[in-house]
Amino acid sequence: MEFFIDGVPMQAEDGQTVIQAARANGVDIPHFCWHPELSVPGNCRICMVEVEQEKGDPWFDIACNMPVTEGMRVLLHSEKIVRLRKQTMQFITLNHPVDCGICNKSGECTLQDFHYAHNGQASLSRDAKTHATKFFPLSDRIMLDNERCIMCTLCVRFTNEVSQSKALCAVNRGDHALIRPAEDANFDNDQYSDNVIDLCPVGALLSRQLLDHARVWYLQPTRSVCPGCERGCSIDIWHRKPEWALRALDPRLNTRIDRVTPHENPEVNGLWVCNKARDLAALFERPRATQATLGGAATDLATATASAARLIAAARHPVALVSSWGSNEELAAFATALAPHVQPFVKADHLPLPGEVVEDHLLIKPDKNPNRRAALALFPALPGTLAEAITPQTDLVLVWGEGFDGSAVPAGARVIRLDAYADPVQAQADVFIPVSIQTERSGHYTNFAGVVSPFTACFAPAAGIAHAEELFRAIGLALAPAVAGALTGPAA
Amino acid sequence: MSGTKFFMNFPVTETSHLLDAYTARGGYQALAKALQMQPADVTKEVSAGGILGHGGAAFPAGRKWGVVKLNDGEPHYVCMNADEGEPGTFKDRWLLEHVPHMCLEGLIIGSFALMGRHAFIYIRGEFDLPYRRMAAAIEEAYANNLLGENILGSGYSCDVVLYRGAGSYVCGEASAMLASLEGKKGWPRNRPPRLTVKGLYQKPTVVNNVETLANIPVIIGRGAAEFKKVGTPKSPGTQMISISGHIARPGVYEVEYGYSWEKFIYEDCGGMQDGAALKCIIPGGVSTKLLSAKELEGLTLDHISAVAGGSQLGSGGMMAIAEATCMVRVAQVIQRFYHHESCGQCTPCREGMGWMERILDRIVAGHGRMEDIERLYEIGEANDGTTICSLGDSAGYANTAILDHYREEFEYYITNGRSMYDGRLTVSDPFASALAGAGARG
Ligand code: SF4
Ligand code: SF4
Ligand code: SF4
Ligand code: FES
Repeated sequence: MEFFIDGVPMQAEDGQTVIQAARANGVDIPHFCWHPELSVPGNCRICMVEVEQEKGDPWFDIACNMPVTEGMRVLLHSEKIVRLRKQTMQFITLNHPVDCGICNKSGECTLQDFHYAHNGQASLSRDAKTHATKFFPLSDRIMLDNERCIMCTLCVRFTNEVSQSKALCAVNRGDHALIRPAEDANFDNDQYSDNVIDLCPVGALLSRQLLDHARVWYLQPTRSVCPGCERGCSIDIWHRKPEWALRALDPRLNTRIDRVTPHENPEVNGLWVCNKARDLAALFERPRATQATLGGAATDLATATASAARLIAAARHPVALVSSWGSNEELAAFATALAPHVQPFVKADHLPLPGEVVEDHLLIKPDKNPNRRAALALFPALPGTLAEAITPQTDLVLVWGEGFDGSAVPAGARVIRLDAYADPVQAQADVFIPVSIQTERSGHYTNFAGVVSPFTACFAPAAGIAHAEELFRAIGLALAPAVAGALTGPAA
Repeated sequence: MSGTKFFMNFPVTETSHLLDAYTARGGYQALAKALQMQPADVTKEVSAGGILGHGGAAFPAGRKWGVVKLNDGEPHYVCMNADEGEPGTFKDRWLLEHVPHMCLEGLIIGSFALMGRHAFIYIRGEFDLPYRRMAAAIEEAYANNLLGENILGSGYSCDVVLYRGAGSYVCGEASAMLASLEGKKGWPRNRPPRLTVKGLYQKPTVVNNVETLANIPVIIGRGAAEFKKVGTPKSPGTQMISISGHIARPGVYEVEYGYSWEKFIYEDCGGMQDGAALKCIIPGGVSTKLLSAKELEGLTLDHISAVAGGSQLGSGGMMAIAEATCMVRVAQVIQRFYHHESCGQCTPCREGMGWMERILDRIVAGHGRMEDIERLYEIGEANDGTTICSLGDSAGYANTAILDHYREEFEYYITNGRSMYDGRLTVSDPFASALAGAGARG
């Protein structure tokens, strides 16, 4: 059906509200409390619009709860609406501390933006503000500043409707109303709790990870994929912009993951991610392996690569355990370059940790590896036990990635390991080559449903670290003549 | 003599609220009659009676019932709004205490008309005696086959749930009441959808005031035509009025619509205490705009006349204010109430109520500024029609009406840092002379 916004004709579908139809036509009506995925409480009142009536006085109502009707004429910029929006912003900032200078949301705060866009005037109040709890620990992960809260209830509705933990509620009345944990729930148990930090339009819900660590204008997002499970949620990894790189202090701060936010992807995760994605910094920033070794002695990458090729060429019953964290590109390179020379099996790099939620109603999937589906499309899965794959005849085991304890390797068999993180067992390998991690390379993962999502490098790997994709090609090249022209003798 | 009385027409005794007494007065005959009719015809009769809701908004009750589609396959609910909490309003309380069966009978008839299987009574938590009497009435009704399975052998079954509120003013607002009944926070909801489309548990629901429902047996019993003979053509029937303030004889009265307002104040209620002059009337609870003594002249007690006079009859909670009362203080007291009761859900009301109270507190403390008057008007305007429920606009109207009428009192207070009337809220202080004797007063 046709309707009009400020005189411009637009199309709307049956059942759409004015705010939905406006958005579908590229017009953004200011809103705090409305969210496309949550119920409509209509409490912030910033989305008030005027509707011209054929006869009689105009009608004023909130765009987020008003269905569009045929021929409806909506005004967003009438004198009355402009005044109402200004008054609403006056109300919103009345008891808000307006401490933008020290607020972690500054730079991303809707209140700040709307204040400039729709009010731009100092408070008309001559009276003291009401005060509320400044730092209320809502959970181990989230701090609540009640003074900044504008009671949009997005966070409460999220826990009721999306995460379903029902962990938050509103208590008290009037300008004493507060967001609080619900009495019988624990927000720490909500696997999706950190989404409320993004949802909060002001700096009321603060990530204790990010709080006082960085300001958003120092940061830039890089599109990535959460490797936490086979869902492979699309995310943005935020890190320091090059132009704000630190020369003093700890230079590692320049290659730190400062925060992770969902990257909207209707096919995979919609607008949300679970807390595991938020904690990628801890996962990726574990102590790294940086040195190639031969039998525990340091060597350079080229020597290690050549040695690996020699070992493979020499082996009669070589077995390879393929990483289910490898990208589609890496897996393809492995398939082309190495699969003809080894017996490959796909292994799980990560299993659920004790206490970890294995699967739930929303996003979390049981397989804790991001690319097992793609790996299984190329290579067989490990049989029931490792011993069935690695037999007494096995004379070489190539292990790519984590999640292999080494005890199954038959005595006398040679071992090649490719890993990104430091582990004492690496010294026992005949050849060890450190490889890059997801944040240091670009590629794609295929999730459990077959949806392919890209990730992009955020940081350069340290010198001496190989990209697995290039490494496989190099080994493959080295293998070609070696295999073709008889063996050149035992490997070093 | 204020005309026909439907409710206050029997001597109140220790047992007059019980079932026996009620049936002896003809009680439950209307229910028996209704159960012989088609449900839709009951609604038609109520519509024909022309009764306007007695909760404050004065919406035609029959029309509200008529919206519900009887054959939509959905459960329908009727909820009696017994959460009387408007300051100055205490007339439903009389009905609940003295004619609980009449209220209940109206509820059962309403539920039958809407083909509801369950009906609800949401009663104000502070109403202890009314609650106990209603609970006892429900028990008596069950014991006598007036509730439960197959009522009076008609084939119609109905259960009534009596629910005690926890004492929040806003839970008297129909949508907040349903949220509270559902066990949620008593926050008003946005319309659309209307409650008659999606109400309790998202099912079509009619919420009616106690007095409205108590009128139903009268309409059905007498027939719409007879009912309409009482009152005025546009406001048929009677109105329960609770009057308080500086009035000589405060209390609950029943008047026939169209009765002279002045006669009611000066004769039936005995005029002002201590012979003081009337300054103004708050007609129907503090949410309605006040009327000065002058504006009251010639008005009658009915909806048309009240609206023509610039206000509303509201919930029938009338307050009389005598000359020499400080209207700045009156505004402050009213605003304190609204600030306390704002549910805190929507921005203009949540923030505006406290702001208005702080401004008024400051004026009363002698630190007012002239700009405060404009600010009070603006906050009222910003709440007008912009909030989820009408608490926000009501507070604005209440303040604006006081400012419109008594602006000079505010200006005087601001300029001089003190009240024109020494901040008085009472006509006379019964302890004044004693205290003066003891030297406690300056
Ligand atoms: S904490 Fe944030 S999201 Fe929650 S109600 Fe307050 S402003 Fe809204
Ligand atoms: S659901 Fe899986 S992929 Fe998505 S954020 Fe959580 S762990 Fe990561
Ligand atoms: S107007 Fe006031 S009481 Fe009504 S919903 Fe809004 S905040 Fe609550
Ligand atoms: S966005 Fe419509 S009221 Fe908040």
